[in-house]
Amino acid sequence: MWQATLDGRALRFVLAGINNQNFIMRDEETGTWWQQVTGEAIRGPLRGKRLTHVPHDEITFARWRREFPGGRVLRPATDTAWIAFSRDWETETARYPVKIAASLDSVLGPREVVAGIDLEGRSRAYPVETVRRQTPLHDQLGGLPVVLVLAADGSLRGFDRRIDGRALEFFARRDSADVVLVDGATGSEWDFTGRATAGSLAGKRLTPVYLQQDYWFNWKTYHPATTVYRR
Amino acid sequence: MLAVAALVALASFLVVAVPVYLIMPFRAQPDWAVTLGYSLERAAPVVTLLAALVVIGLVGRGWRSGRWGWVRRGAALVMVILSGATAWLARQNRFEWMFAPLANPAFARPAEADWVKGDEFVLAVTVNGESVAYPRRQVAYHHLVQDRVGGVAIVATY
Repeated sequence: MWQATLDGRALRFVLAGINNQNFIMRDEETGTWWQQVTGEAIRGPLRGKRLTHVPHDEITFARWRREFPGGRVLRPATDTAWIAFSRDWETETARYPVKIAASLDSVLGPREVVAGIDLEGRSRAYPVETVRRQTPLHDQLGGLPVVLVLAADGSLRGFDRRIDGRALEFFARRDSADVVLVDGATGSEWDFTGRATAGSLAGKRLTPVYLQQDYWFNWKTYHPATTVYRR
Repeated sequence: MLAVAALVALASFLVVAVPVYLIMPFRAQPDWAVTLGYSLERAAPVVTLLAALVVIGLVGRGWRSGRWGWVRRGAALVMVILSGATAWLARQNRFEWMFAPLANPAFARPAEADWVKGDEFVLAVTVNGESVAYPRRQVAYHHLVQDRVGGVAIVATY
């Protein structure tokens, strides 16, 4: 997701193409081509400029509804092309071949889903299957201690696990209906929004870390120097 | 004259056809292909229009010269149609044929959103306290949706 304003100027975008299986959009004001996954202008008058990233959360509708009862939901289109668009689009696209110009690290399958973190020049891919096995998954990315949490409904979030400068370690309570994390230092309980709901740290909030969920081939193409979390 | 018109019509067609070939899903795109595709697409609306006018002009002269038989006239018509179609194609967005844009995004309250199941994924954006859910399947189709969340103009992409 990107801010649609650049240097104070509003831009209107249209779909313009595809570049190694990630789409390109064009702004109607200048005709510049922008790469969807990086927000970078790749050709045209604004080449080299970058749109401001707006983090988004990929979670289930039921969870979003609980957390944001006052929010709004995008209505679907009504044209026949949309209606014909398969409900199984994910499995359909998974069958398409992967053809890109970059060479892939063979450590992961091209369509393996990863959660990518890209911060301060460092990028790392966390295979979602690995997160599933280890949740809550702890890591240190440069100077940033992170925790990745996968809920039973498949919602995935990442957090900076520092509170007041101290990096916490978490355990998941196995007996709870939804995610409840307990930190080893104080025994406080934390929910999936990163808020402490009980214990001495109650009321504190973990800072979210944006996770980009993507196919490995796409993450690698646009983050060529990425590392892969392995355990 | 007919030969020149044919060359102009063909060159004009290539200006449109080459980017279609280069910028295509499930092909690998090296950098030069993106550059060439961009440059040709950018030039195409003007170049193809000029080419169509040139073709029409050349064909018009040949037609009125009285020296053209039916075969030549037939070929000339084909060239006029081809260059006209090319000039029209240069102004179309073929990607929007495949994935229609959402012209006027409309929204519903969560309780009204009966087209989304609870276990379906949404892309949720929260800015300045306002939260909007874009069901993933819908954004996967449109590829981009422009909106204003918490006072900030955004383009939701997937």
